[in-house]
Amino acid sequence: MKPISGNADQATGTQDLPERESLGYWALVWRRLRRNAYGMVGMIICAFVVLLAVFAGFIAPYSPENSDPDAIYTPPQVIRVLDENGSLTAPHVLPFTEEFDKQTYELIFAPDRSRPLKIRFFVEGDPWTLAGLTFDTHLIGTESGEHVHFLGTDSLGRDVLSRLIHGTRTTLMMGVLVMLASCVIGTSIGIASGYFGGMFDLVVQRLVEFVKSFPDLPLYLALVAVMPRRAEPIAVFLMFAVILVLLRWADLSREIRGKVISIRATEYVDAAIAVGAGDRRIIFRHILPNTSSHVIVWATYQLPEVILLESFLSFLGLGVQAPMVSWGTMLNQVRDFQSLNAAPWMLAPVAMIILSVLAFNAFGDGLRDAMDPYSND
Amino acid sequence: MTETAPAPLLALSNLSVTFRTVTGSVEAVRDLSFSLAKGETLAIVGESGSGKSVTARAIMGMLAPNARMSDESSVQFKESELTRYSDEEMQKLRGNSISMIFQEPLTSLNPVYRIGEQLGEIIATHRDLSKAAIKARVIELLREVHLPDPEARFAQYPHEMSGGQRQRVMIAMALANEPDLLIADEPTTALDVTVQAEILGLLKSLQKRHGMAMLLITHDLNVVRKMSERVVVMRHGQLVEQGDTAAIFANPQMSYTRHLIDSEPSGEPDPIAGDGEAVLQCHDLNVLYRIRHGGLFARRHLDIEAVKDVTLRLSHGETLGIVGESGSGKTTLGMNLVRLRTPTSGRIEFQGTPIERLTRSQMKPLRPRMQVVFQDPFSSLNPRMIVRQIIEEGLIVNGIGRTTAERLERVKAALADVKMPLSALDRFPHEFSGGQRQRLAIARAIALAPDFILLDEPTSALDLSIQAQIIELLRDLRRKHNLSYLFISHDLKVVRALCHNVMVMQNGRVVEAGPTAQVLERPKTEYTKRLVDAAFRIVSPA
Repeated sequence: MKPISGNADQATGTQDLPERESLGYWALVWRRLRRNAYGMVGMIICAFVVLLAVFAGFIAPYSPENSDPDAIYTPPQVIRVLDENGSLTAPHVLPFTEEFDKQTYELIFAPDRSRPLKIRFFVEGDPWTLAGLTFDTHLIGTESGEHVHFLGTDSLGRDVLSRLIHGTRTTLMMGVLVMLASCVIGTSIGIASGYFGGMFDLVVQRLVEFVKSFPDLPLYLALVAVMPRRAEPIAVFLMFAVILVLLRWADLSREIRGKVISIRATEYVDAAIAVGAGDRRIIFRHILPNTSSHVIVWATYQLPEVILLESFLSFLGLGVQAPMVSWGTMLNQVRDFQSLNAAPWMLAPVAMIILSVLAFNAFGDGLRDAMDPYSND
Repeated sequence: MTETAPAPLLALSNLSVTFRTVTGSVEAVRDLSFSLAKGETLAIVGESGSGKSVTARAIMGMLAPNARMSDESSVQFKESELTRYSDEEMQKLRGNSISMIFQEPLTSLNPVYRIGEQLGEIIATHRDLSKAAIKARVIELLREVHLPDPEARFAQYPHEMSGGQRQRVMIAMALANEPDLLIADEPTTALDVTVQAEILGLLKSLQKRHGMAMLLITHDLNVVRKMSERVVVMRHGQLVEQGDTAAIFANPQMSYTRHLIDSEPSGEPDPIAGDGEAVLQCHDLNVLYRIRHGGLFARRHLDIEAVKDVTLRLSHGETLGIVGESGSGKTTLGMNLVRLRTPTSGRIEFQGTPIERLTRSQMKPLRPRMQVVFQDPFSSLNPRMIVRQIIEEGLIVNGIGRTTAERLERVKAALADVKMPLSALDRFPHEFSGGQRQRLAIARAIALAPDFILLDEPTSALDLSIQAQIIELLRDLRRKHNLSYLFISHDLKVVRALCHNVMVMQNGRVVEAGPTAQVLERPKTEYTKRLVDAAFRIVSPA
């Protein structure tokens, strides 16, 4: 968007414009966001989480279903760079030898120093698919192909790290799906309600109030009761998303309605009517673009909320069903004290939840500040 | 600076203030030095963006967090250096020996506190007085600013008062602790012209009585002329000229000052070029607003007559001015005449077509011939569209120009008409100044080649010198395109320069109408006389 300069300027008039880069709204937003360190850190972590979800198959060492019956509840293995004598060597991990404590009936895992497993990058392993293509290369693994578990294993000997990474995909997909659908529904209903007003507005607003007064937890419980026992996990996942959307669009639609009412009263909308513009043009060219920043900020705040809700409900066993893996279903495995005591590393999803919720909120805050049209500091 | 007192009350030297913004640093004030003697009135005059308000805020120690004062900056008040004061020390000073009146009386009072409480608080912060003594002092202050019935005002909330009354309360607040210096930042800009004169008169008499020094910030040269002994002219954050008001007005040394003085709207409209045929007329137009009040079971309606029995006729090539105070119904009338609103009753005829009952889609074919320019150039341009899209919109909607190239030619022609460079095409509205934005709004109207334009206070949000340019532009366009204007304004000076005929409105009714010269020189009603006085005399006795 470089200003057109040339002889025409002198020829036509008295008004001069400073010769500088012309910045649109989004370019200004980006400039302001870039100066907010907290928001930028949030954005980078968000991008990292999203990448993790998209390339889960590649980044995760194993498939989430790959269970190793010889390694049940094994603790995390640490990458070592020093050998027995304390001198530097290639990065490796130590396998465990299992011993049975006859007094406590506990399994004791002791690192086996005699058999270091060398770490390799880009190793072959479980097949994974992305966009219809099947690959079998993984980011990290051992030279010998023996399993390594950086975050330990669960009760079936499945790799916690791999499940965590694959769980990111499910959780984030749920978040994005719910967010997008409620944005589309909320924005269109909000705009229609605010712009056309009248009876439609009245009915929609009462509907919004009804939805907002609905007790959501019993509704989620009812969902489980209604779903057939043998329902496909993907069907449960979608139903779950639909219920979340049904309960979430209402907030946005009310906010957008208010915004539309104020935009409708601006002089630029009057000016558009004065040149003869119709409803469609006014809605799509004048009103929608001016609500977009609001919708985007709302969306970034929505994502962490859905992440939290998903993990909470899946923890209760209501949300995502096995064999799909999500952060919530992983936490569901440690809901009794014994398993928590035996394998505290299975709380790893908590760290991911905290990290991603903080990151998305930080990003949302940064965006909100950057999009404020009245600040120029 | 020939007659500075030996020890000035306030002395600024090398004041520089820089703002850090998204698009880089902006130097709002650069190397500004002036001084103010005890009891003197100094006016700072300049256009918007000249740094005059920033200067006032710098003196008060109330700069925005992203502002920085340079190290050389010095603000001496009673021979002590304010730039070295701590926040706490400044706080003791503010509202005590220096106080300030802000531009916007509607928002500078806290709506949840009674007037008496707000005034009392100012006194209590700086003085140790008993409750009764404070109340007595508050009532004395309210009396001093000529508020009728001060005892009753004490218990009132801000919303129970008019804008002018609130500004009087603000003045009382500023005077509460008998300051040595009063900073008045555009104290009358937000007020109606008739109220403006009263407030300025009040300020002047109070200043004399208390022997305060006053720093008056304004863009209005008339205010400067009537109120101040000395004047500082600022432009782009720098001092252009300073000296005795009378001397500067009589013989400005700098071309910019001369330009400012010359930009008072002047001249007279060209004779009507048209054939006398009516472009727009209305008969007995009424607009009622229905307000519901009363409880759920005793619902009652109150009809407010925004426009009452208005009849007007605008002929081809004519410019008709509609003047009145805010709330007189002039904008409502205009919006109804171009059918952006629907009147309650009456007839409107546009070029022979009755339009008072047409729907929006029925109006569409007429739209290119009647256009509107709105008051506020900051809200009349969609911030998400580039200039080209804004001007092109009407062409697309009305199917004018078949190809993109053809439309672009028309957009370019419209830009040339309003004397904007072609480099404006791809820019967003926020990149332009107020005057340039108003030019773009005019270009949007002109692009459709209309016969008639409704101008709703197109110059009132603009600086004086920009105002003059826009009026000149409107005159040129009228001549070039043979346009008829309906010009809504509260400023009779602008009306005199542009309108052939004028209609004075009060409370929705037309109180006086006729040729501009006749109405202005021999006003028949008291109301018109007040408007004329306010526009051409400025300060009336308090």
